[in-house]
Amino acid sequence: MSLSSYASRTRYRLGGGIAFVVAVLLALVALDVPLRAILTVGFAERSLRAASPIALAAVGGLYAEKSGVFNIGLEGFMIFGAVTTAAMAFVLGGDSPGQPDLWVGIVGAVVFCTLLSVVFATLLVRFRGNQIVAGLAVWFIGLGFGPFIAVLLWGNRNSPGLVSVRQVSIPVLSEIPVLGPVLFETSPLVWLALLVAVAAWVVLFRTKYGYWLQAAGENPEALDTAGIDVARVRFAAVVFSGALAGLGGAVLFAHAGSFNGTGDTMVNGRGWIAIVAYLFGNYNPLGAAGAAVLFGGLENLQIQFQTAGIAFPNKLMDLFPYVAVIAVLTVWGSTRMPSAVGEPYESED
Amino acid sequence: MSDADSGRVRDRLDALAERALDMTVVERFALAVASTALALFIGLLVVAASGYDPVAFLGYIFEGSFGDSNATARTLKFGTLAILTGVAVAIAFRAGVFNIGVQGQFVVGGFVTVVTILWLAPLLPESAVGGVALMLLGTGAGVLAGGAYAAFPGVLKAYAGANEIITTIMLNFIAVGAVGYLVEGPFRGEGNRAPNTARLPEYVSLPQVVFDSPDFSLVGFGVALVVVVGVAVVMARTRFGYDMVTSGYQLSAAAYSGVDAKRTVVSTMTFSGMVAGVAGAVFAIMVQGYYSDPGGIATYGFDAIAVSLLAANNPLGVVPAGLLFGGLDSAGTHIGINSDVPVQLIDGIIGLVVLFVAIPELFRMAARRTGLGGESR
Repeated sequence: MSLSSYASRTRYRLGGGIAFVVAVLLALVALDVPLRAILTVGFAERSLRAASPIALAAVGGLYAEKSGVFNIGLEGFMIFGAVTTAAMAFVLGGDSPGQPDLWVGIVGAVVFCTLLSVVFATLLVRFRGNQIVAGLAVWFIGLGFGPFIAVLLWGNRNSPGLVSVRQVSIPVLSEIPVLGPVLFETSPLVWLALLVAVAAWVVLFRTKYGYWLQAAGENPEALDTAGIDVARVRFAAVVFSGALAGLGGAVLFAHAGSFNGTGDTMVNGRGWIAIVAYLFGNYNPLGAAGAAVLFGGLENLQIQFQTAGIAFPNKLMDLFPYVAVIAVLTVWGSTRMPSAVGEPYESED
Repeated sequence: MSDADSGRVRDRLDALAERALDMTVVERFALAVASTALALFIGLLVVAASGYDPVAFLGYIFEGSFGDSNATARTLKFGTLAILTGVAVAIAFRAGVFNIGVQGQFVVGGFVTVVTILWLAPLLPESAVGGVALMLLGTGAGVLAGGAYAAFPGVLKAYAGANEIITTIMLNFIAVGAVGYLVEGPFRGEGNRAPNTARLPEYVSLPQVVFDSPDFSLVGFGVALVVVVGVAVVMARTRFGYDMVTSGYQLSAAAYSGVDAKRTVVSTMTFSGMVAGVAGAVFAIMVQGYYSDPGGIATYGFDAIAVSLLAANNPLGVVPAGLLFGGLDSAGTHIGINSDVPVQLIDGIIGLVVLFVAIPELFRMAARRTGLGGESR
């Protein structure tokens, strides 16, 4: 695909996204829905909080897929990230862990998920495992062992209320109307997610490591010829994706304050939504983060509808993000995936 | 995906399928046994690491699966569901379509079965014959509903390029949420405290043969075996089955022989969802006798993926694999009652089985290293 058609495709996609949002807003106005009660500052802040875990996992998954490995196990790594953070905070701080315990828990979860994904990457890259089946397996293992750990520690699939991250307010900047409370009086993990997305964009498109990564997915033979070990690049990308998905799970826990392991656990499909977020963001870390904000907003519509006095069953409102995922895949399903995705690369020597 | 892109992805999947087909029957059997054994072994290590007695745990597994007639009935009950959902998965996987949505199709099929029976019951005589008629009609409705719920992602994949792995997973969440809403509100039985539908009438139940169990009937197990044989015949002996299997083996070859790839995707998904609908109907009629919030119903549709993979996606192989998983689930129930080890461990072990089945190379290498099996390819 030529560069120009790539650019026009991106523009078309962006235009489509904006048109969709505008159409929804117009429909709401036409139906006399009290928009001002829905689009509040609190809503924006909550949406960014909800978007952070999805954005982190999406950036990770994007790196793996750019390198040529479809990491379908994001959801599983997120479950491990959430339960590990909860478990470490509990072990360190008992029934009422403090902020330091929480932060150690977050770091611990990232380390643990990095180790898990080293195993996962070895099985995929070294032993050429089936990427789709092995990725599903990571999810199932998380669905089993996540609640297992919870029952061991708390005698229940759900943890008691433990600790959530303390909001940080930056003086002066937080005084700015609208933007202040949304961006400068919020969870520091929202900033972390934003920082990761920007850094990921810079590395991917402006450094030689980023070019290696892209080449590993688009044209592994050329990269091999240039003397770079394709398997190593992919290995690193998969480990990175697992670590970031784990961080996403940790952030999810840190915002919620307790671990919930009933049903599909508290992660509840966010890892799958992350995959759709980077597809929708056209394999661009910033685009993926933007799509994550869209899904984060849908997750929080419920509270807004309630305050605006619109009666709609909660159980059905919870399904909005999933319906949106299907709509996105149907309308923008035609994403351009890196050409060597899913293909184990076997070097000549 | 554009056509060129999806073609490329197809080629990759074809390559994977080809590698799998390179394996001999003996190799596949060895892979299934080795995967299960290794997963169980890791499970026992976790049990020991958590401070429990792994030997006692292993004892519970055997006792809980075939220890007495109660345990055997329970194993056959879970086995029936694992076999039916496993066949549903096998149909799709065999054709190269990743239907991860069997759980959702199972839920929708079961719910529609119950609603249909409750709706028709006043119109038919309250007798054994009426009961059989209601079960047949209800199951028919459940099969149609399951098929339709699977056809939808099939159409999205074939005509809009929407990745079926993700759409079917989303449809699982939607099925559980939507049916959960329906049993809680509009379809809740009168005077029910719990979010359940009304109970099916007494005479709508399968007869007790050999085993005397409130939630298992040998007739249900027989239905599963009949479905297995039916699916095996369709796959091996009909044009439709041939098209499906060739599409799964190599899409380009199928296209040359005149197979309409898009229609095959839709019909494969529909067929797979219909079998999931049978599983849902059997669960609703034989096990529950009403429908509850599906958030609390076990994820048979996920275990089914492991069952199908263990059986190398062969409908006949699903029977032993399904019984194995029926045994594991049954042992899980036993462990939940008799020991402190969290039963969620069984789900984790099932996940490990799926992981190991995906990596035949690991066992090949191990076999070469240890000099077992010896043959190199």
